[in-house]
Amino acid sequence: MDGFGGTTLRINLATGEIKRTPTDPAFAREWMGARGFVSKLLYDEVPRDADPLGPDNIFIVAPGVMTGSFSPVGSKIGFGCISPATNGHADSSMGGHLGPELKYAGYDLIVLEKIAPEAQYLYIDNDTVELRSADKYWGMGSIDLEKRMKDDLGEDFQIATIGPAGENGIVFSCITHDFGRQAGRCGVGAVMGSKRIKAIAVRGTKSLPAHDLDAMTKLTCDIIERTKTHPNMAPWQKYGTAFFVGWSNERGCFPTKNFQKTYHEDWKKIDGERLVEECLVTHKACFGCWMNCGKYSRARIPGKPDTYVEGPEYETIALVGGSCAFTNIHHVAYANYLLDNLGMDTMSGGSTIAFAMECYQRGIITKDDLEGNELRWGNIDDFEHFLRMIAARRGIGDVFARGTKGAAESLGQDTIAFASQAKGMEFSGYDTRWYPAQLLSYCTSDIGAHHNRSWTITTDIELGRENYKGKAPVVVYLQHIRPLFDTWSCCRLFWGELDVTPEEHVETIRHLTGWDVTLDECFLVSEKIWNLNRAHYLERNGGPGRKHDVAPARHLSEPVPDGPAEGHTVGAENFEAMLDEYYAARGWDRDGNPTREVLDVLGIGFAADDLEKIGLLGKPLPGGIPKVRGQKLKPKAM
Amino acid sequence: MVLYLRSGGKLRDKLQPDVDHYTRRVEVESGQTIREILGVLGIDEGFVAFAFAEGKFRRLDYRPHEEEVVTLQPPVSGG
Amino acid sequence: MKIKVTKENCTGCKLCLQICTITHKHEINPKMAAITIDAHFPEPGTFEPRLCVQCGACAQACPVDAIHLEGDAYVIDEDECTNCEICVDACPIGVMFTHPDAPTPIKCDLCLKCTEVCNTSALTVVE
Repeated sequence: MDGFGGTTLRINLATGEIKRTPTDPAFAREWMGARGFVSKLLYDEVPRDADPLGPDNIFIVAPGVMTGSFSPVGSKIGFGCISPATNGHADSSMGGHLGPELKYAGYDLIVLEKIAPEAQYLYIDNDTVELRSADKYWGMGSIDLEKRMKDDLGEDFQIATIGPAGENGIVFSCITHDFGRQAGRCGVGAVMGSKRIKAIAVRGTKSLPAHDLDAMTKLTCDIIERTKTHPNMAPWQKYGTAFFVGWSNERGCFPTKNFQKTYHEDWKKIDGERLVEECLVTHKACFGCWMNCGKYSRARIPGKPDTYVEGPEYETIALVGGSCAFTNIHHVAYANYLLDNLGMDTMSGGSTIAFAMECYQRGIITKDDLEGNELRWGNIDDFEHFLRMIAARRGIGDVFARGTKGAAESLGQDTIAFASQAKGMEFSGYDTRWYPAQLLSYCTSDIGAHHNRSWTITTDIELGRENYKGKAPVVVYLQHIRPLFDTWSCCRLFWGELDVTPEEHVETIRHLTGWDVTLDECFLVSEKIWNLNRAHYLERNGGPGRKHDVAPARHLSEPVPDGPAEGHTVGAENFEAMLDEYYAARGWDRDGNPTREVLDVLGIGFAADDLEKIGLLGKPLPGGIPKVRGQKLKPKAM
Repeated sequence: MVLYLRSGGKLRDKLQPDVDHYTRRVEVESGQTIREILGVLGIDEGFVAFAFAEGKFRRLDYRPHEEEVVTLQPPVSGG
Repeated sequence: MKIKVTKENCTGCKLCLQICTITHKHEINPKMAAITIDAHFPEPGTFEPRLCVQCGACAQACPVDAIHLEGDAYVIDEDECTNCEICVDACPIGVMFTHPDAPTPIKCDLCLKCTEVCNTSALTVVE
């Protein structure tokens, strides 16, 4: 089966039974991999009332069609489950080398069912697949464990681990690999931990079959040659994502003090230039990538040990650095290390601590809650102490282990108003009060707030930051194209940064697999996944859909106090109007429920039947659904 | 003075290159900052994350020298 | 002509391993490449690409005379090679590689494809 390892594994952790079946070519063609596989399997297999951290959730490890191929750039692997943060579909991807290694071992998909009786790790060495005891590894930090397992098993194993946070069910726990690459979002690490799986270790030495290797090689070599001289290449290689800190501040969208402000006066002390000058150890790339955005760094803080970590990249600098108001890049890098090693997403983790810092600022939590400690803005010792309280679920740490939404529900006192989250997942590192399409993007996202689904800051600038009309179809378009890269399982940045076209990605897939696939078909696959995830979310959480697409009060009604975005806010009325436009652009009804017509067009009529049974199928639209859902933004002529 | 600006992505459409696929030759007053030059060209600085010249990051208040090749880096959501 | 390794420039991307196997074995399989990258993490955080320096120790050790100097590179004659792996043991820097699916040991023949794809000048050609 060209382009694939050929085997699917299904493992019952309760009984230890390991089943291998040939990967179904029709399933692979229809869903393409990673995010697509996850979406369909979750929909089909997880009971709607299953506890995300209970035995009936499943945990999926899924590379995609491009993973491990010679292409721009098949480095990714997806993890999927029902999210403990959102109670909906979760897929979270990471780069590094694990996905390719798994394909070289011959596997396209691993489904872990039930819960292991004791701590275990999944050991895969080509055809050898075993569940092994992880007793001696339980409790270890993610990075420490990766090093330990490389010592135990061999450097040529690729290893993914969870930290203590994942073991303890912290809802924003991540999966770590390659000393600093994460599947960070949706709490996939917590679900892996709930299964008592501490790590996955893989070695693969087989070849990945390709339909037309010569054509794929020529195309990829041509793209490499062409992009070497692309204007963005050199700056990107040198600085990676951290360089957008200044821009984001000057645009008034840099989260500062838990999104109280959108401009950090001391951003020059924590930006990419500081990082590269003071902390950089080496540039670091994922498998097969020639633009190396990874910045491997060392934090040096008097009185603390030197720590090494890949990053911090933009999102971490924004949500740890800005939102917790740090003013020293070493402190941000050290915080990044702590979160990584304890096994928590730096984005939701940073945001949750920033949220706690605001609670402390307001006197909602006090020293008495913090074991006598404080929780001051920008204080690394306070940060570390509180972070460890969360990881161990000690005292009030247990409340914040549920993320900002869960913590706010427990704390009351209208703290939910300043929890910057959607559906239980914390915002990415962009404030939305001057960027309404970004707010719409967060609040309509299938996995909760995440820029990886739709990022519209420049779209908002292009179409006017005070305008609300006409943006929803662009959000829909972005929600189809951006997750498409997670479905193909390749890095989005070759498209975003280096002008490698989606058509070229599709051509690569054709050469790799022999499929007669087109970009239009891929867009429909992406839209199908989106709609299936929506149906699944409604089936698990009730309806109507609209009641879930809500924005935090801060972003609707609290004007930005100062900085470039001073005075701006979106306003509830404007937000609701954008939602109306969004639902219409998707072919959903005004309640935000998908219609049968759109689900039928996408070939998932079964989801319409399921929604109808529970009364959540959208009412038919008077004019029918739009022929094309989502619309590319055409750059304005100068 | 003469200056060469380079850009890719959507920013390339706005720059309207004329030398090669990515590069536009512009004549500007000596001592002008990148920000001022963007203003003259009618490019909103919101589309420029930073400038890159002689292998280094440059803020938009950087004043390029004669014949300098300056890359304008568009913002991209990252991480 | 030689391949110069500047290890400080290596980012560990393995593009060189990919193109090496595609070129010589017509397979996608970086484990069958004539290059390896040792990664030293989490500390000190360095990459170390390693490949043949064409010293000829393998040719001297080969009991069936299957390794010959062609231009600047020692090349394995796959028809002559008995896969006894004496050359693997004889290599002083451990860059005569083996793979279960390869009929002979694997070594660099200076095709230079790796230097063409490397985008950080970790691998470059020197005369």
